[in-house]
Amino acid sequence: MKDYAEPLARLIDELKRLPGIGQKSAQRIAFHLERASPEEAERLARAILDAKEKIKLCSLCNNLTEQDPCEYCTDARRDQEVVCVVETPYNLISVEKTREFHGLYHVLHGALSPLQGIGPEQLKLKNLIERLKGGKIRELIVATNPNVEGEATAIYLSKLIKPLGIKVTRIAMGIPVGSELEFADEVTMLKAIEGRREI
Amino acid sequence: MPLRETEALVLRTYRLGEADKIASLFTRQLGRLRAVAAGAQRPKSRYGGMLEPLSYIRLWIFERENRDLLRINSAELLESFFDMQKDYRLQVAAQFVAEVADRFLPEREVNDRAFRLVLAVLRTMKQSGETNRPLVYFDYWLLRLGGFLPDFGHCTSCGRGLADAPVYYAAGFEGLLCEDCRPPQAMLFTARERLARVVERCQATLSHWTGEEESAGDLREVRHFFEELIEAHLERKLVTRPLLDEV
Ligand SMILES: [Zn+2]
Ligand SMILES: [Zn+2]
Repeated sequence: MKDYAEPLARLIDELKRLPGIGQKSAQRIAFHLERASPEEAERLARAILDAKEKIKLCSLCNNLTEQDPCEYCTDARRDQEVVCVVETPYNLISVEKTREFHGLYHVLHGALSPLQGIGPEQLKLKNLIERLKGGKIRELIVATNPNVEGEATAIYLSKLIKPLGIKVTRIAMGIPVGSELEFADEVTMLKAIEGRREI
Repeated sequence: MPLRETEALVLRTYRLGEADKIASLFTRQLGRLRAVAAGAQRPKSRYGGMLEPLSYIRLWIFERENRDLLRINSAELLESFFDMQKDYRLQVAAQFVAEVADRFLPEREVNDRAFRLVLAVLRTMKQSGETNRPLVYFDYWLLRLGGFLPDFGHCTSCGRGLADAPVYYAAGFEGLLCEDCRPPQAMLFTARERLARVVERCQATLSHWTGEEESAGDLREVRHFFEELIEAHLERKLVTRPLLDEV
């Protein structure tokens, strides 16, 4: 015997596929939607479909966008000579929030992760190389995550791109602001020392 | 809830909810197991880089009755393989080792020889920057320790002596095959002499396997055959395996 009527079980199953949603959360959301008005449910369904239909990848930088090229790529006030490489569209937002970066972006949609079957072929690199060969760009800032996958990706990119005569830099890694040296493990401490700068 | 101390190699981690991680660990004193590292996804987590793939750590864990999942109380880093994996080639090789260990080793079974094997293989890759010999050595010994090393002198299917006749290997078969037993997709195995030399070399420690030049090409066929044996035993394809040949 099933616990729930088939349509409800199906909804719970679909919700469970979403990141961070387990059985309990899925049940809670499903019951909430069951109680909601038909209009409310319709609005949610429409929003999901709209996002799926209207959002595409920018052909230049792979950011999620409604217009192609995206708002960053078409903004003439941005520095056309510097490109910041990030793993995901939400990493792009993190960099953008600093308001300190005024160049262009490139989204890889992942990082080198053999355990997840992700090698260079699975990353969105082709249009980056094309853009770099255009000759306008002089610096590439690699802002991939400070973990094994992000580091391997950064080194891979620098080997690939330095021969094109473009400067490749890596964001600093190390001790998070607000924490204490005492609690830093050796890897983190080493990264912090490697990334030191003159003051 | 007893607190246990053990050394461990981090095989991989998964996100758990918003803040935690589940780590698949090959521990020296408790065998392979999964444990929750609370708060490990947070930027200021006390785990820092300790739970990156293949970190060699000491940890203290709570055993919970009737629960598969243990909980990490604290950990300290003994040796990092982070910098080694900056080199994509070494990252792929190291993570192949992690994936195979994760799939191959039975849960909660202490295996000190396998533990020392994985550590020696990682250290050799880190020191020499070489992947060919360490990977072949790892495959050989893991198969042998698991009791899955076939008799290379006989067909695994019909048991006939293979002598000098052409031999084959194929996905899903746990040894070499004779002409009559080979399935249509089987590959001709041309490296029998090399295989005999590899077996001989593997009888000593990995650090003794030096001097003679062993290029990727020299060892590729033996490595492919061993990988086929591992996948045959696991009854599944390894995710990292295709990447080994792309680098
Ligand atoms: Zn764009
Ligand atoms: Zn046979």
